[in-house]
Amino acid sequence: MGEKMKKGHPIFVCRCENVTLEDIEKAIEEGYTDLESLKRKLRIGMGPCQGRTCLPIVIRILARKLKKRPEELLIPPSRPPITPIPIEVFLASGGEEDEE
Amino acid sequence: MRSEVVIIGGGMTGVSIAYQLAKRGITDVILLEKRYLGSGSSFRCGTGIRASFTTEEHIVLQKHSIEMWKELSEELGFFYLRGGYLWLFRKEEQVNAFREFSKIHNKYGVPTRIIYPDEIKELAPTINTEGIIAALYDPLAGKADPFGAVLSHAQACKKMGVKIYTQTEAKKIDVRNGKVIGVDTTAGYIETNKVVIAAGYGSRDIAKTAGVDLPLENVPHHALVTEKFKEVFKPLVIDWTSSAYIVQTYAGNILMGIDIEEQPNIPLTQRIDFIPTVVKVMVKLFPWLRYVNVLRYWSGYYVMSPDRHPILGPVDEVEGLYVAAGYSGHGYMMGPIVGRLIAEWIIDGKPSLPQAERLTLRRIKEGKLIYEKAVVG
Repeated sequence: MGEKMKKGHPIFVCRCENVTLEDIEKAIEEGYTDLESLKRKLRIGMGPCQGRTCLPIVIRILARKLKKRPEELLIPPSRPPITPIPIEVFLASGGEEDEE
Repeated sequence: MRSEVVIIGGGMTGVSIAYQLAKRGITDVILLEKRYLGSGSSFRCGTGIRASFTTEEHIVLQKHSIEMWKELSEELGFFYLRGGYLWLFRKEEQVNAFREFSKIHNKYGVPTRIIYPDEIKELAPTINTEGIIAALYDPLAGKADPFGAVLSHAQACKKMGVKIYTQTEAKKIDVRNGKVIGVDTTAGYIETNKVVIAAGYGSRDIAKTAGVDLPLENVPHHALVTEKFKEVFKPLVIDWTSSAYIVQTYAGNILMGIDIEEQPNIPLTQRIDFIPTVVKVMVKLFPWLRYVNVLRYWSGYYVMSPDRHPILGPVDEVEGLYVAAGYSGHGYMMGPIVGRLIAEWIIDGKPSLPQAERLTLRRIKEGKLIYEKAVVG
């Protein structure tokens, strides 16, 4: 990424948690060199998009930094539900009986 | 490779032991983590921290841990808040039982007390107290950011010279004439005379290689988080009748869990029935939750010991071998004090808290079990 762009304004990679390219590069330099640790350090992929937007970008940034192929990196598992679901929806479905 | 101490396990316990050792001048330490730091139970936990247990051992250790949580959060710069715990009761017998527990808490300096719906509403605004007759309020309890806690400990350890090897598994503890002489790992052999096992349920397998049997069971538990909000309520709230808990995390997400029937020692599986089970309880307590989105659901293990207390300290059979595992759901919150106690065992030969000496593996062999009654979620 060009120096000019970096200086001009922050480049957001994770829009849910407001994580910038600069944040990611700094964390990688501090030793957070796997996706799981970057996720916990910066909360990348922990917002409403659950990483669908930012994770492919972070994978590319990290792969480039580590001089690895993207497919060599360990990818964090996806947690259900796939998209955010209102609690109301679950109220109508099964589950164990109430204790009362 | 050679190292004065090898720590097996990079969760809250492992990094805390490494940090406390380093602060006392023992920096020739290698910490082994088979996946990534916090990847076992620490990063899956409910984030709560309390001393309102039911035994002297748990209460005293946790009271010290809470003091350390405050100091460490300032020293290392991570989120920690004494937002309190509220244990909600729907039946008179629950109130009576906790009135007795409260006397034990107070005896050891934990200022819990029974409160009634008016005060519950003040402490947790927006709560619906219908059906709630009273609560135990623990003002000393709180919550912390597990990611910040584990990662900042690890960074500080590295700065002091501790070596942290992630994606590195301990294969075998090498014992000769009853003494530890080394650890074989996937990254090579490490000569050492002191090994600490802090690997959750994995402690069992690695201890076996040294001929030590750790009676641990791995029980799956489940949790979910909603999207983030500004602070809605500070305390961690427990519905004692259903064993469900809810807490707003450091980031603002609402995290909740409930005890559902599970088989021990099985792989983690997704139990979608968990979500309706927990939200049905929580929507009654916080009706606005109905309109909130669930972001993420995951599971993790409570590593259970026979009496719901951790197995801590040296092991009689093998000189130089120490254990810190089996917290039965409370390892994250006990991390700071366990780090200090294990460092004391290694450096001074004994811990500064006599209660800790009652928690060694010997108690289980001698049948001197100390049962904890307040296990949640």
